[in-house]
Amino acid sequence: MLKWFEKVDQKRPEIVSSRVRLVRNWSQYAFPSRLPQKESAEMLHRLEVGLQNLGSLDGRHYEYRNLGEMGELEKKALQERRVFNSTVASKKTPAGLILSEDEDTAIVLNGTDHIRLHMFSPGLHLDELWTRCDQMDDFINARFPYAFDKKYGYLTSFPTNVGTGMRASVVLHLPTLSLGKKFNGLVAEMGRFGASVRGVYGEGSENYGALYEISNQKTLGMTEKEIVDLVNRVALQLLTQERQVRKMTLEKRRLEYADEVYKSYGVLKYARRMSAKDAMIFLSRIMSGIVDGILETEEGCAVYRMMLGIQPANLQSLSEKPLGKEELDEARADYIRAELPELK
Amino acid sequence: MLCERCKIREANIQYTEVVNGVKTEHHFCAQCAKEMDFGPYAAIFDSEFPLGKLLSGLLGIGEEQEEQKAHQVICPACKTTYEDFIQNSRFGCPDCYGVFDLLIGENIKQLQGSNAHKGKVPRYHYSEEGTAFSVEDMAKQAQAVPGGELDVEEQIQVLETRLHEAVLREEYEIAAQCRDKIKELREEIRKC
Repeated sequence: MLKWFEKVDQKRPEIVSSRVRLVRNWSQYAFPSRLPQKESAEMLHRLEVGLQNLGSLDGRHYEYRNLGEMGELEKKALQERRVFNSTVASKKTPAGLILSEDEDTAIVLNGTDHIRLHMFSPGLHLDELWTRCDQMDDFINARFPYAFDKKYGYLTSFPTNVGTGMRASVVLHLPTLSLGKKFNGLVAEMGRFGASVRGVYGEGSENYGALYEISNQKTLGMTEKEIVDLVNRVALQLLTQERQVRKMTLEKRRLEYADEVYKSYGVLKYARRMSAKDAMIFLSRIMSGIVDGILETEEGCAVYRMMLGIQPANLQSLSEKPLGKEELDEARADYIRAELPELK
Repeated sequence: MLCERCKIREANIQYTEVVNGVKTEHHFCAQCAKEMDFGPYAAIFDSEFPLGKLLSGLLGIGEEQEEQKAHQVICPACKTTYEDFIQNSRFGCPDCYGVFDLLIGENIKQLQGSNAHKGKVPRYHYSEEGTAFSVEDMAKQAQAVPGGELDVEEQIQVLETRLHEAVLREEYEIAAQCRDKIKELREEIRKC
């Protein structure tokens, strides 16, 4: 089965992914940081048993995994695909994961909170994701009472998540807009609307790959619908701006632009060693080249999938032997050559 | 603006120096700032600088006397102290919100721009007034469970958690109803 990130939304390919995340806690237990080992294990077991019929909700297959039994490499690879964060990956107390086959739905159990449900989708689909999260949330809630307060809403370990416990986010590819002088001002302006914009693979000019994540800053005092609308609006606003500057670039410097795109394709196609930084820069260029119709590939090309594929833990998990830094660069180049589609 | 030290990365730290009344402004990137000696402020530029600590710093500002009183507040359920919270910016259990509300309510409002939840309310186990449901209400609700009705085992599990809840909330009537219903369901299983 294809993973969710192996698909591309053809309508707005610049929008790499959407995600909705809900944080919930079981009212009967203390939050994970204060929950003794024994109770953690007991709660985790009860959650596992209680949610084993999760598939009856949408007719899909879900697998339960105990994080304690998972190898470090697999955890790192899941972290690279953003199934959970480093805090959960390095957790010492019992924690679990329920994951759908295509990895678009994940529930982290006893991470920083008892229940952390999130769903991914390619393209801009926050509305649908929220509807599906809402249903799954009800399914869980029918089995486990939530810590909820009339004033503060859903109670969470960190006060930064309290209220709806919801974070809606969109990953956008903004290679041209982010080069401009106005970009930092634009980011600050989005902050005033209550949305944060941050580089997915680093800050400022070091965000190689030009992927930016937009999400709501606040979780209290806004309804879920308002949060979805806010992030939608900001994402579309940035996309419109990106398209405008891209159009200008294409009109004024088409040859230069096309040259960069083809050179990038050439390097990716033939290089024998590739650092993560270079790979991200070149992949980012072919991503915009494909969107702008400069580069036409034989079959569809999910560039984001390759951006995830070139990350160290994934490359390591594909290899039979442990890789040093130089071998990793070689493996990265091999991976790209194998995955890159032919040109028409 | 580029960092004046490395001239490569974007400057995101503005440093104003006043020496003998002469003010000079500098612009550095986080990495260079980290490598330079800013004395007691150096920690701010540490790349590992956690947001949580920054938050704690913001939340920790207060009058000394009040601080001392606040230090004595401890959550009876999970033993989290006010100091623990200030240090880690995180609560230990759901009860903490009620316990520390007076102390940090204003800060949460500043942080979130609001102190009143809007939006979804749990569909099960709670009424709109925020009180727990009775067993009858729960049975009605169980009909509407997404993904099909709860089977008997699941019903018992839900009732057990409800029983626990009711005892905590000192709602003994509901607790007794839950207990009876659990007994009834267990007998049902035995008969099968």
